[in-house]
Amino acid sequence: MTTQSPPPSRASAQLSNTKTTVEFRVALAAMAIVALLPLGVGNAYWLGVLIVSMYFAILAGGWNLLAGYAGQFSLAPATFAMIGAYTTGLLNHYYGVPPLLGIVAAIVVSGLVGLLLGRAVLRLAGPYLALTTLSFAEIMRLVAANSIDITRGDLGLGVAGLLDSRVGWYYLFLGALTVLLVLFYLLLRSKAGLFLQAIRDDEVAARRAGVDVVFWKTAAFALSAAASGFAGALYAHFAELVTPELGLIAQTGLILSMVVIGGMGTLAGPIIAAFLVYVLSEWLRDVGGYQLVVFAALVVIFARFFREGLWGLAMAAVRRWRQA
Amino acid sequence: MTLLSVRGVTKRYGGLVAVNNVSFDVAAGELVGLIGPNGSGKTTLLNILSGLADPDAGEILLDGKPCQGLTPEKLAHRGMMRMFQLTRVFRRMNVIDNLLVAGRALGLKPGEALDRARSLISELRLDAVAALDAGQLSGGQMKLLEFGVCFMVPPRIALLDEPFAAVHPTMKEIMGGFIRSRHENGQTFLLVSHDMPVVVELCPRAICMNAGAVVIDAPTRAVLADARVIEAYLGGQAA
Ligand SMILES: Nc1ncnc2c1ncn2[C@@H]1O[C@H](COP(=O)(O)OP(=O)(O)OP(=O)(O)O)[C@@H](O)[C@H]1O
Ligand SMILES: [Mg+2]
Repeated sequence: MTTQSPPPSRASAQLSNTKTTVEFRVALAAMAIVALLPLGVGNAYWLGVLIVSMYFAILAGGWNLLAGYAGQFSLAPATFAMIGAYTTGLLNHYYGVPPLLGIVAAIVVSGLVGLLLGRAVLRLAGPYLALTTLSFAEIMRLVAANSIDITRGDLGLGVAGLLDSRVGWYYLFLGALTVLLVLFYLLLRSKAGLFLQAIRDDEVAARRAGVDVVFWKTAAFALSAAASGFAGALYAHFAELVTPELGLIAQTGLILSMVVIGGMGTLAGPIIAAFLVYVLSEWLRDVGGYQLVVFAALVVIFARFFREGLWGLAMAAVRRWRQA
Repeated sequence: MTLLSVRGVTKRYGGLVAVNNVSFDVAAGELVGLIGPNGSGKTTLLNILSGLADPDAGEILLDGKPCQGLTPEKLAHRGMMRMFQLTRVFRRMNVIDNLLVAGRALGLKPGEALDRARSLISELRLDAVAALDAGQLSGGQMKLLEFGVCFMVPPRIALLDEPFAAVHPTMKEIMGGFIRSRHENGQTFLLVSHDMPVVVELCPRAICMNAGAVVIDAPTRAVLADARVIEAYLGGQAA
């Protein structure tokens, strides 16, 4: 057997911390642009679209931590948003708990449910993990939809608002997204980033190297769920209504397409793609109900041909440009 | 001083006895070869030692304390470090990060882990590929990387399963030299190999298994000259 000559260097041929830092900076720059958008976009409708984009960006970031970094392909991110929304919604509706407290409770409750789900599916991988979390998602949604005495079912639960101005909401969501981005960045730069990716690539090798797989996998589930619950709780007070629709599989499909199109396992890609995908989906809504078909096709194309998503394509373009 | 003690370890898969009442001791600082024809139970024994399989019977002591039934990650922390016959690396992480995972998981501080990763990379001549993802390495380079992972934190005992299989002679030389120099500094090894010249050269003592059982445990030259060993290799499939 002869040694192969080393393959040509690519994006990954950088130290991973440097890579993560580049991604973080680009994501921050994107947030800065988003912060300036209200100056140009006065239209309340499009402002609303951007707010929902940020809601999805948090969900995409949270799911990316679990699926992109830790390799746990859960199909329940929208469910945790729904759990977060109902946590603060029910607390507010029945006990008059103020929204800010409710949002904290939502983070805790969804994180705990995520932890329990993580424990339950610890030994599952691949399609078994996906199907189990999918059943969990459907069960939770049906419970919410059918507990009519408590949740008012599909009619939805009215909850208190938090801010009067749409621009205020805009910056609240932007602040939330940015805080999350910073937290994820710090997490990924620490040993946690190494361990999660090690578990994704080869669980047995990770255990051999001394990584506490049970702890880190569960932590990834809990953190990802807490982020989703946070987004859901914010959204509940923004919409002033909580419905089981928050937990629809179609919502998870949208989150999944954002992450895959943006680039799984990259910090910036999924968050930026959340804006592109959601704005595009709103635009397609005007054209006709083709969003899901278009996104499903895009996901297939990206998953098949562009594994690193738009982020990977952009990095490749930058490299070509530098070499020229 | 006995570092590893294997006592009456047995593992069955259905009707097949993959490891049959195996007992031996490894003293601190020893470099022991483990040989035997294909399917003789070497990998299964290493799986048991590293916590990936539970023995049906028997006892394993590491530094005098029982350790069967512990998880692989606990055993790694106790200093049982294992290299797989079928190479296992983190394919989408670069070479440095592959090493850092073990370093950080086993308790090194970030700076210290990075220093050790760098010095292992130069010792194993992986400098040119240090920033590549492990999945982009050649088969031999991957083996070297996995080998390096085992020594990020010097283990109590290194369990190496066919580290030289399908590896270029130059890399084999690097690995062999590494094993020799660590052994001189007191590192303990259990080395599984089909490469008899290397076993003769490196290991003063060898254990030969056949059909799950220990055939002979003696100085390496005596093992290779033993009629039962020759019989085992000729009787079974070729090594
Ligand atoms: N998980 C398993 N389930 C069933 N049988 C197994 C399992 N693992 C190993 N065996 C069987 O146990 C026997 C010993 O296998 P093992 O891999 O330990 O041999 P080995 O000495 O490492 O061989 P080689 O030199 O080819 O690597 C073989 O007959 C194998 O088929
Ligand atoms: Mg084997």
